Amino acid sequence: MIEIRGLQKAFGAVGVLRGIDLDIADGEVVALIGRSGCGKTTLLRCINFLETYEAGEIRLDGQPLWYRTGADGVRRRMGDAEARRMRQQMGIVFQQYNLFPHMTVLDNVVLGPRFSQGVSALEAEALGRRLLARVGLEGKMSAYPAQLSGGQQQRVAIARALAMRPKVLLLDEITSALDPELVGEVEDVIRSLLSDRIMLVLVTHAVGFAREIAHRIAYIADGAIAELGKPAEVLDRPKDPGLKEFLRRVRS
Amino acid sequence: MPAGSLQLLAQGAIVSLLLAASAIVGGTLLAIVLAVMAFSRLAAVRAGYRVYVYVVRGTPLLVLALLLFYALPALDLRTGPYIAGTLVLIIYTAALFAEVFRGGVLAIPRPQWESARSLGLPPLAMFRKVVAPLVTRYTLPPYVNVCVMTVKASSVLSIISVWELTLAAREIIERTFAVFTVLGLAAAFYFVMCFGIDRLGRRLERHLALRGFAGERA
Repeated sequence: MIEIRGLQKAFGAVGVLRGIDLDIADGEVVALIGRSGCGKTTLLRCINFLETYEAGEIRLDGQPLWYRTGADGVRRRMGDAEARRMRQQMGIVFQQYNLFPHMTVLDNVVLGPRFSQGVSALEAEALGRRLLARVGLEGKMSAYPAQLSGGQQQRVAIARALAMRPKVLLLDEITSALDPELVGEVEDVIRSLLSDRIMLVLVTHAVGFAREIAHRIAYIADGAIAELGKPAEVLDRPKDPGLKEFLRRVRS
Repeated sequence: MPAGSLQLLAQGAIVSLLLAASAIVGGTLLAIVLAVMAFSRLAAVRAGYRVYVYVVRGTPLLVLALLLFYALPALDLRTGPYIAGTLVLIIYTAALFAEVFRGGVLAIPRPQWESARSLGLPPLAMFRKVVAPLVTRYTLPPYVNVCVMTVKASSVLSIISVWELTLAAREIIERTFAVFTVLGLAAAFYFVMCFGIDRLGRRLERHLALRGFAGERA
């Protein structure tokens, strides 16, 4: 499980996250929604330390992440090697796929297990082939990212993240950059993950999809969780006036 | 022009090419170390990089060559002009290559770094599998530029009595006074060498681009 306590982050003088508390249980799917600039993507990126943060704690299965407070009371970044080990327990998929353009699809997927986790070449390749088959790309193993559609690239990116056998998968608006007709194929892949009982944290504007797959939805406004609950509560009986306004806009 | 002159020029051209080749190989290796220094977490290491580049790039190659030619024997290193000349060329091209590589690293899009970091890649794997392949592709044209320049810059070494194409030409001119013929031939030799490097660079570019790099022709 993931425990987030009192997370605070500022860009200069501007507070982006102002005390986030959130627990994510094993196998839980949590969707983060909110207006652009509300801090939902920053929160996601803090979880795997693509962003630093000034205060608060994040734990994964009880292990404190990213910062250590020494005996002298000073908070320091954890060592690089330790941070790498922690990162290997989580996968992230980006809005723009961000595949490595100079590698084949299979090499993109194999890279992490092979070089971060030291899995043998043979084993890593077998794993890569299995995952690519799972996302429906068994025919594209030796293609290069530039030769694929956006939806295909995003499915490779999901396979690449899964190849690390992560405990949690962070999904950052993964269908926002796609042509509408390609959204479904990526959403189908995410649906197929639900039976794995892996933790999913997704930032999304697709409220309908969030309602379908999320166990809980967090509405974030001004860097804080303004409302948190089951999809039916948050989406159908919103209490926060900002959330009501937000839902009216995304649905119109 | 007496017989044998053409052969002498060809021999000089081979020496020039060897000088340039050692400078390119040695300079590239040194430049990789320098470029890594340029992105060090330690401010002192980054400062070391800047000092090297500013000093070497801000000094004429001719002055550097003379300096090293006189300095090495003064340090009791009896090396002779060929070692000194090769060293000078390596030191000089390394500064230029290092800036080319640094530009290439800066050109790597931030999302590529984030992908690599999110996979938890250790530094060496990150360099070998992500940074080096991308930088190679980004920097090939300016890299070839420096290579071509190195061939021509090797002519400066004639000043410190390195016998190469330019010195060979001057010797022939002193004997024959066929200034324009001999210099024209020497220029032609330089041109052929540089043109060859250009073609090689283009071939390499195409070869790497075919591997699905963005910018690939359909």
